[in-house]
Amino acid sequence: MTREATDDLPKIAEIACQAAIKAGAEFADSFVERGRDLSVSVEKNAVDLSSARTRASVSVRAFVAGGTGWWSASTTSEDAAREAGRMAAELAKAAESDPDFVSLVIPAPYPEVAGLYDEKVASLEAPEVACWITQNIDSALSFASDAIVSGWAESSWRQTALVNSLGVKASEQATHASVSVQVVIRRNGDVGSFYEWDAARCLKDLEPGELGARAAAEAAKYLKSRPIRTATLPVVFGPLAGRGLVLGLCAAASAEDVQRKRSFLVGRLGDRIASEHLTLVDDPLIPGGLSSAPFDGDGFPHKQMTLVDRGFLRTYLHSNYTANKSGEPNTGHATRVGIAPTNIRPKLGERTGAELIGEVEEGIYVVLGHPSPDTASGQISALVDAGFKIEKGELTYPLQSTMVAGQALEVLGAIDAISSDYREEPGVILPTVRVSSMRVASGE
Amino acid sequence: MKEDAVRRQLERVRDEAIRKEADFAEVRYAATTHSGLMLQDGRADRVGAGRRAGMGLRILSGGAWGFASTESPEACDWLAALDDALDMARVSASRIEEPVVLADTPGAVDQTKTSFEIDPGAVSFDRKVAAVRGYEEASGQAAGERAANLMTGYNDAHQLEMVCNTRGTMISSETVRTFLWHAVTTENGSVRQRSREVRAAQAGFELVEKTPAADFSVRAANRAVSLLTAPPAPAGKFPAVFHPSIAGLLVHEALGHNAEADHVLAGQSILDGKLGTQIAAPCINVVDDSGIPGSWGSYRYDSEGTPGRRRVIIEGGILKGFLHSLETAGKMGVDPTGSARADGFAHRPIVRMSNTMILAGESALEDLIADIDLGILLSAGQWGYVWCEKGQYTCHAGEGVMIRNGQLAEQVRDVSISGMVLETLANALGVSRDFEIEMPGNCGKNGQGMAVNGGGPYVKVREIVVGGQA
Repeated sequence: MTREATDDLPKIAEIACQAAIKAGAEFADSFVERGRDLSVSVEKNAVDLSSARTRASVSVRAFVAGGTGWWSASTTSEDAAREAGRMAAELAKAAESDPDFVSLVIPAPYPEVAGLYDEKVASLEAPEVACWITQNIDSALSFASDAIVSGWAESSWRQTALVNSLGVKASEQATHASVSVQVVIRRNGDVGSFYEWDAARCLKDLEPGELGARAAAEAAKYLKSRPIRTATLPVVFGPLAGRGLVLGLCAAASAEDVQRKRSFLVGRLGDRIASEHLTLVDDPLIPGGLSSAPFDGDGFPHKQMTLVDRGFLRTYLHSNYTANKSGEPNTGHATRVGIAPTNIRPKLGERTGAELIGEVEEGIYVVLGHPSPDTASGQISALVDAGFKIEKGELTYPLQSTMVAGQALEVLGAIDAISSDYREEPGVILPTVRVSSMRVASGE
Repeated sequence: MKEDAVRRQLERVRDEAIRKEADFAEVRYAATTHSGLMLQDGRADRVGAGRRAGMGLRILSGGAWGFASTESPEACDWLAALDDALDMARVSASRIEEPVVLADTPGAVDQTKTSFEIDPGAVSFDRKVAAVRGYEEASGQAAGERAANLMTGYNDAHQLEMVCNTRGTMISSETVRTFLWHAVTTENGSVRQRSREVRAAQAGFELVEKTPAADFSVRAANRAVSLLTAPPAPAGKFPAVFHPSIAGLLVHEALGHNAEADHVLAGQSILDGKLGTQIAAPCINVVDDSGIPGSWGSYRYDSEGTPGRRRVIIEGGILKGFLHSLETAGKMGVDPTGSARADGFAHRPIVRMSNTMILAGESALEDLIADIDLGILLSAGQWGYVWCEKGQYTCHAGEGVMIRNGQLAEQVRDVSISGMVLETLANALGVSRDFEIEMPGNCGKNGQGMAVNGGGPYVKVREIVVGGQA
């Protein structure tokens, strides 16, 4: 299968947008996408399936008196674009009006963001993608001959165009490559498992080689897991689990949820919502960042911003709609279907993750888990997917059926350290996060 | 594309696959048209619709699988995708342990349509808005001044799947679906709570007419209001009784995924090697049944063209069988169960559940809680997931009620629970005669979403870990 980059996508988007206006929309924008994916999956140490997929879609948002009509189709033909525009306009006419809608984004220069497209990724063939995952079977087996390996490798290429009726014209090409490996080790009726992954926009940033060995080494550590006693304890979230806590906070900072009064951050702008250890910068301009892009889903130029500054909430995450509604600056966080952060980078602390663990007399270390709060209530009640008991500053045994719970603002306020070292994925920094006290439920 | 034209094109690609000496080829066309609206803050100001269609084909060649898909309706693009799939099979063949062997089943030719009373496409937009507004207004009245945000959604879809393979199968399945959801956020000072209800079925607009607000949006509103003053759930290990919605989550997440034969064969299931053994208390009987009329997870044929049916997974606590595709049935030497389902055209069929449930027993709910001194009744199931290989799972309950001295006591807030699959099943102490299967949802597996349903009776377990704050 060949990749066929074409220059007609902006024209297709323009046709769709114009069709919506012609059919009676007051405003319209359209998004057109083409691409291809190659993927190879592995089950039980052998290739299970290799796939090649094309992608094509057009979506149009049309606005009449603020009411939104939205039409999408899985094709990028000119006829389909015209139909999409016309249908979106008809739906917008049927929709009830929204007095909070003001206007769409107006044209503005976009920043240059390097490293979002890599010809080497775009031109990959399936055997090369297969190597990323099959080498990890060998890598895992070299560490543990009884390793059971599953996972996948994928490369994708996208070409997109976004046009609106106020003159915005944006387009880009992007590539992604990723590998995910899960290793299961069964010994004497016991099971240990772990997964590792890597992802990048450019081939130079992808390091798939040793994921299998790393996952196998970790999987072996989770044999002989057991519950602990229920208690209130310090909880240290490792790089992957800590990200869940941070992204949960970002989700609650969505201005749409705040304005609709369904976020625990309603009325908290400018307030202290976390301890002074937490500073979060959102940066969509990092070269090669996994969530980097020159513009957001509305076509608004991206820029770096500080979301949380030493514990104080500095802004909500806005789309064009929510910014206009509240009269606040647009932060450029629209997706085509909502609001989302980009590359979140916590400010680092002064001690390493190992030192943070070393200071805990009794607690738990969460390696994998989803400790995201409910965006409305702020309640956290989450399983520790993988973790360890900490005793006298040391990781001791792996945990089983252990859960962490708390109220988001209390948990964020109880962050007493962020590590100086971190796991780095393109654009993203993942440090260790320590919370001085959380409710830990288990079954001992 | 007209159905006849699709059929001819599917057959053309299949015949070309035979000519190119594929061991097996399956060519599928899937098309979905959908529409929906959302009402929020009293306004139905967001209305959407669309159409998605394309072809996906799976080739078995040299004992290995290749897959390709395209959105294009053009025959030349379908034939190009065939070449891609053959190339992909060659890539797969470079590292296989043993050649894929499919269950030896004959081809089938059939055409099916789900039934409905009121065609959603024939219902005016204004009528849909009026129905949704009715739910919102009833919910708003129930929540009163505590209502912070109300969201109500309506979606309908018409799906066509056509499966053609080199064994002579040509199945055409048309499905009409309707989906209703309502979410309420309440507030009292700085305290916020949220509750959600979903109703979904293989049905037309009659689902709306058969769903009174009192059983739907008002239920969510009442729960969201009462949760404002409810204390947090406790933390620790407690005797528990699961409402049917939690039983449905449990049987889906904790057991069902482990009973998918692809997980078993991949070395990922806790049930590997346990067929025919006692894995649960004798009161536990579990089936997966794709033949329940109108249920969200039902279908007549799976995405490989195999008829769906009722599959017994656990009988009297003994593991009786797994869910199978043609491939997993071939590997295990059993009959396929019609459990291979694909999410649209861009994915291959994989083993999935349909309507999964624990069967009812004889006990009354009062009997189940009567001897519990301190425990918790968990209800309003929300979501869950499982680590199949370890058998460790979690489920989230939208609310709980403490059990004290054999009586239902105070309500507590939403909370997640956790356990080990085999421990929980072995620790079941009883099931009620009351039964409900009303957990329609979209289950995720390997990047594919799938319509499933789940349910059961009230289930009493000796103990479960409750992840509360108190």
